[in-house]
Amino acid sequence: MKRLSVYENGINSRENKMDRTSVFPLKSLDIPLRVLAAVIGGWAASWSFVAFATAGLAALGSEFHDAETASLMLGVLLFGGIVMWAFAAPSTLRVWAVLLGGSLLFNLIALELQRMILS
Amino acid sequence: MFANFRQSMAWLHTWFGLALGYVLMVCFFFGALSVFDREFDRWALPETRFEPQPMPSFDKVLAPAFARLTPDEADYALNMPALHDPARGAPTPRLELPPDEYWAYTTHRDPVLAIGAGFRVPNPKDESLENHIHGNATIDPRSGEAVRADQLKIGSQWFFPLHYSLNWQWKNLGTFIVGLAGIIMLVALVSGVIMHRKIFREFFTFRPQKQTQRSLLDLHNLSGVVALPFHFFFAFTGVLIFAGYYYFPVSQFQLKPLHDRHEVVEARETGLPHQRAGVAAPLASVDAMMAEAKRRWAAHDMAGEIGFLQIHHLGDANGYVSIYRAGSDRVALVGEAIHFKASTGEVLREEPPRTPVQGLNEFLTGLHLQHFEHWTLRWLYVLGGLAGCACIATGFLFFVEKRKAAHARAGSQGARVVDALAVGCVTGMLVATLGMLLANRLLPEALIGKGDWEQRIFWGVWLASFAHAALRGAVVSRGGSNPAWREQCFAIAGLAVAAVLANWITTGDHLLRTLILEPYMAVAGVDLSLLTSAVLALVAARVLARRAQRQRLVTRDPAAEVVHA
Repeated sequence: MKRLSVYENGINSRENKMDRTSVFPLKSLDIPLRVLAAVIGGWAASWSFVAFATAGLAALGSEFHDAETASLMLGVLLFGGIVMWAFAAPSTLRVWAVLLGGSLLFNLIALELQRMILS
Repeated sequence: MFANFRQSMAWLHTWFGLALGYVLMVCFFFGALSVFDREFDRWALPETRFEPQPMPSFDKVLAPAFARLTPDEADYALNMPALHDPARGAPTPRLELPPDEYWAYTTHRDPVLAIGAGFRVPNPKDESLENHIHGNATIDPRSGEAVRADQLKIGSQWFFPLHYSLNWQWKNLGTFIVGLAGIIMLVALVSGVIMHRKIFREFFTFRPQKQTQRSLLDLHNLSGVVALPFHFFFAFTGVLIFAGYYYFPVSQFQLKPLHDRHEVVEARETGLPHQRAGVAAPLASVDAMMAEAKRRWAAHDMAGEIGFLQIHHLGDANGYVSIYRAGSDRVALVGEAIHFKASTGEVLREEPPRTPVQGLNEFLTGLHLQHFEHWTLRWLYVLGGLAGCACIATGFLFFVEKRKAAHARAGSQGARVVDALAVGCVTGMLVATLGMLLANRLLPEALIGKGDWEQRIFWGVWLASFAHAALRGAVVSRGGSNPAWREQCFAIAGLAVAAVLANWITTGDHLLRTLILEPYMAVAGVDLSLLTSAVLALVAARVLARRAQRQRLVTRDPAAEVVHA
């Protein structure tokens, strides 16, 4: 059978992937953990980013709905970016650490900014 | 995990595309049909086949039509217990709820008018909420008569919501799945470009005579790349439209205090009361307010028709009337709202010029929702949507073609399952759509709950097409092609022609009449599109049949079988 262009080599070679050494110890869980990180972690991190950016822009004097709309636009694009990064990043652990840490941090800053604005 | 960046993107593209491609297919196809949702409505509801009407007189037509509205039984049963505070007495009976809000909505393509009322729950648990039980209707704006309520506007009430909610309302799960699919569409486009790198060449590459697998990949790349900005834009704005309400509702969660304070400030600045005053007041002439709104738009060099009319806090001293301009002549979905005091008719507020962020948002959502009047552009939208379908469908086919020989050798059912699902969501979706349109014409007009039957038939036919594809798919696990593809193509052709004939027989509107004698393009357009689909489906079926015959000849020759595998 004719070999197709080079880029497909990676798609169907599950065996090849299993051979490769991974930074993550539980190889069989690597894919499900990345899928979960991309979808659930990505959603949480984007949500937190939207909260952070909305509160941040509002703190800078932007009208609330302007701040919210602008943050939503960026948040949607960010979600897509996170999904890609969750698979491109070398370490699954790092993906989870960044997404969970980032969500927590962005949320805390958002709440703190809100407290400052309202006080 | 992956050897390099491009391999990780290829994995992402393949598997997320496969998992959510079925959903995206529904979004793109029914989104494309939604461009002409009002036209499908006319086709499905023959008594509404007349010319689009402007917003009628409130005092003569709308007021009595609003007065006839009653709270919806299902809405009352579902929401009354949630909103009413039992500590403050027995719940008010459904028909005694007082109306608090009226609205009417029309576009430049609507002969009939959608109207609705929000009825107030007098003793609510939380006074700060809206506390409405709704009652909606569609009326003939020439007479004010209600159009039968148990009929289904197949275009605007079925195809349109299908493309963003899958018509699966439970916990809004359909809307969330579509949102995720939208994000994955953005990801698939970017990762697809990364996989290829030869994006410019893809514009001009299609080799239909090559091996099936090669031509499929060409077509997948071509349909993806040619309309790349279109696909990206619709996926992005589609998610954006629902982002604030469903996907990232930060203003209702952690930022609710900030949002609520803004509402109070806004209400003070705009002078539009947030709550009822509790003091009864009459309603001045709304017709005079409508005339004044049009006069002010014309004075701003934006003469136009009224698209949306809303009366808040009905019968109360805090009541006000909001009048929005129809967006027929520009991309941005602008309302240019003017608000009047309901009891006197004096202007309370004219919306100020938009901020740049609002302007951008209105432009983006306006370009997605296309309320403007531009028929050429509408057809380009349809073509873009169908290009998206072609891109997704060829993606499935490429997935199957690439693996089925290997799966056949390994005894795996993977390719067969994916192929059957692809049949169901490509040709099966068309069969279900056409089955619904045909059912709409064949079910007796007097049938009670006709719209419900049409929905059941839609899902039933679709399910049957999946079953058909699964049953006929055994040959795929041996490396062959599923005959369900061509059989369902024949079904599409037959159903499409039958729908056109049924429309002729049941309404007398044949193409000669709708095109020439008494032109009515909404119905003629649907009929012509159905006939075009029938021709294309027949061509596809014939090509597939010929290929299947060739394959049978080849596989009979044992030497050729090796080549084929």
